[in-house]
Amino acid sequence: MRKMKLASAILMTTAIAPVAHADGHLQIVDEPLELTIHMHWPRAQGYNEEYPVELAAREMTGIHLLDATSGKNTTDHNEAINLLLATGDLPDIVGGHRIKDAVNQYGPEGAFVPLNDLIEEHAPHIKAFFDERPDIAQAISSWDGNMYYIPYLPDGKFGRAYFIRQDWLDTLGLEQPQDVNELYDVLVAFRDNDPNGNGLKDEIPIFQRQWEELIRYVTLWDGRSSGSDTYHDFMVVDGQLQHPYATEGYRDGMAHLAKWYAEGLIDPEIFTRGSSSRDYLLSENLGGMTHDWFASTSGYNASLEGTVEGFNFVPYLPPASISGVRMEEHRRIPFKPDGWAISHTNENVVETIKYFDFFFTEEGRLLSNFGVEGDTWNMIDGEPVFTDEVLNGGIAVNTQMYEVGAQIQRGYWQDYRYEWQWTAEAAREGIELYDANDLLIDQFLGVAFNEDEQRIYDRNWTQIQTYMLERQQAWILGTGDIEADWDDYVAQLDRMGYNDVIAVMQAAYTRQYGN
Amino acid sequence: MADHTTRMTRIVDHLRANWQIYVLLAPTIIWFLVFLYRPMYGLQIAFKDYSVFRGIEGSPWIGFEHFHTLFGSDQFIRALKNTVIISMLTLVFGFPMPIILALMFNEVLNQTYKKTVQTVVYLPHFISTVIISGIVITAFSPSSGVVNTVLDWLGFDKIYFLTKPEWFRPIFIGSGIWQEAGFSSIVFLAAIAGVNPSLYESAVVDGASRWQMMWKITIPSIMPTIIIMLIIRIGNLLEVGFELIILLYQPATYQTADVVNTYIYRQGLQVGQYDLAAAAGLFNAVVAFVLVMTANTISKRYSRTSLW
Repeated sequence: MRKMKLASAILMTTAIAPVAHADGHLQIVDEPLELTIHMHWPRAQGYNEEYPVELAAREMTGIHLLDATSGKNTTDHNEAINLLLATGDLPDIVGGHRIKDAVNQYGPEGAFVPLNDLIEEHAPHIKAFFDERPDIAQAISSWDGNMYYIPYLPDGKFGRAYFIRQDWLDTLGLEQPQDVNELYDVLVAFRDNDPNGNGLKDEIPIFQRQWEELIRYVTLWDGRSSGSDTYHDFMVVDGQLQHPYATEGYRDGMAHLAKWYAEGLIDPEIFTRGSSSRDYLLSENLGGMTHDWFASTSGYNASLEGTVEGFNFVPYLPPASISGVRMEEHRRIPFKPDGWAISHTNENVVETIKYFDFFFTEEGRLLSNFGVEGDTWNMIDGEPVFTDEVLNGGIAVNTQMYEVGAQIQRGYWQDYRYEWQWTAEAAREGIELYDANDLLIDQFLGVAFNEDEQRIYDRNWTQIQTYMLERQQAWILGTGDIEADWDDYVAQLDRMGYNDVIAVMQAAYTRQYGN
Repeated sequence: MADHTTRMTRIVDHLRANWQIYVLLAPTIIWFLVFLYRPMYGLQIAFKDYSVFRGIEGSPWIGFEHFHTLFGSDQFIRALKNTVIISMLTLVFGFPMPIILALMFNEVLNQTYKKTVQTVVYLPHFISTVIISGIVITAFSPSSGVVNTVLDWLGFDKIYFLTKPEWFRPIFIGSGIWQEAGFSSIVFLAAIAGVNPSLYESAVVDGASRWQMMWKITIPSIMPTIIIMLIIRIGNLLEVGFELIILLYQPATYQTADVVNTYIYRQGLQVGQYDLAAAAGLFNAVVAFVLVMTANTISKRYSRTSLW
């Protein structure tokens, strides 16, 4: 009921709001045009036709979006888009979470409209963006060289960081560890010297919400865990595709991690504790360090103030590896597989691409990032600033934005000023610290396969990855010895077609990015 | 010709007389047609290079390629082996449990006690699989789980059960029995209730003990029910309850935990290879069909009890 009232209140205010862009310089059509849209994403399965952002965009452009989402009863976006394609009845616009693979596979089969010429002729703002970032244009293209969707483009560089209990370090008279050896000493001290002061040896030096994050620590021995912001992804070294789990740096790193696990420096329940581990181990005053998101992890200083005496969990620089490299392997990817595409049934292709372009204009970008001006934000000294109600509303700012239809997974260009405004002070300091050091590495942005390559990849890769992960957990848990098993492991990867997969990846990579 | 006409009239008369019964039957038949027979049309994608966009008709035939892929894969063979092992173990340990429970309930004289215990053992059946997995994970947790706490008291080392391949099957089968044994016993209790009381009365007159009555009267009387249930179970032998496996397994335990259905889920559905998944599912169905036919034939020959 409350929601209903809120919705109607929003409706009323928008209805009586003065016409903000009466000059009509963003009008795409003279007569209102209705387009149907499929929009399936984790926060909402469907497109709300009454989003204040939609109402404002309607007024500015003359284009109305009507919800025609398939699979609203499932939260599985993959299932939803497959359902949509299987019905054969495509709406004008197909948008939402992780559409990249689907549009790049079925676009060349004729399901979606190639966008390159349309962008060239009708979308000056999108074109300007891709002129700046030709690497992204390459990366989102399908194997036939065409672009089939306009991606959601996240802003900001850093995602996760190393966090440590500064108050524990202070209690034990230790400094933040600067390299992997110092880190080892600190972790041993956390384990043995009772930093939480309860007289029990119950501290858990390293914990992670996702066990995959533990593998990230192989970077301390110059290994790698992934080439992108997706776990277990391929990487590019000097133009050559490789999988991190088939490299010797990984072997050495894993051997050390297995030793750390056996010595009790790593959460013994790392594989089963799951997403609540951070909440539990921090509020119980048991966890010592982790590698996790800047924003959400910094939040614990405020939420546990008073609960845990002296609690101070701070981001610190990645310890230098054995060869002296400080590396933050995780970073935000410059584009997401989310966004929107034009389907082959669309009869207003030009108007649609102009509508997509609208969200890359100054006004459209502000609208898609911050919501409707005057409602959720105001322009102060040339900067968009959220209203006090939004910033101190008791609900996370991103959730509020999703409610009004901003920051949803249409093809739009995120503005980092949106997130910075509600990032905790500790996290801001951490981000500035990370920014001041050269920590980031180039990412592998993915390749688009043609049908034959796709088949070889699908046949082999899932099995190889299953095998890699089985061995990975066994080595950490100590049921296998990586150094003894390594040659057999590499031989088994070969037998399972590892080289075939690398060959198709390399072929696709060369086609897509040149040499 | 005349013969044909009389037969027609007979059928029409029959329908006219019993139409209510056919109306009652209709929803079930429609359900079967819509949800079981109609989808069989889609089975053909097991032999096609299926593209969601091109549709079932539009995708090209590729013969048995998907089956070649499956049987060329060590992981599929392993999954098949695990399926058979887990099913057999479930059958051996899980099937007798509800029968034993039913016999025990039957012997309890205090009605209040009987009802309470029955309710308690039925309850887990109504808990969702996700919650069951939560309970199992918590109970077997090395730091705070009840199982390890007891082990610790008794002076044993703590065990990280859910990452040990050798522990996966006992835990899985045990939690299955815990969840379903009580509820499954209802069928057998009903069968026991149907046994003619005069048999027991005459046995009492002849001085039979309770133990003898159970062995000589109760069990033989419910044998047909047991056999039918067994045949049904054998038909479902390859249908391991994979939801619980997905929630409990880890790459570390795939070795003993990965079954055909979880393999289909990972290889087929998660990466959208519907054609390969259909091939694996079809294979599963054919094996199940052969199993149920065999069990039925054997049972018909030796015990004269059968499904058809």
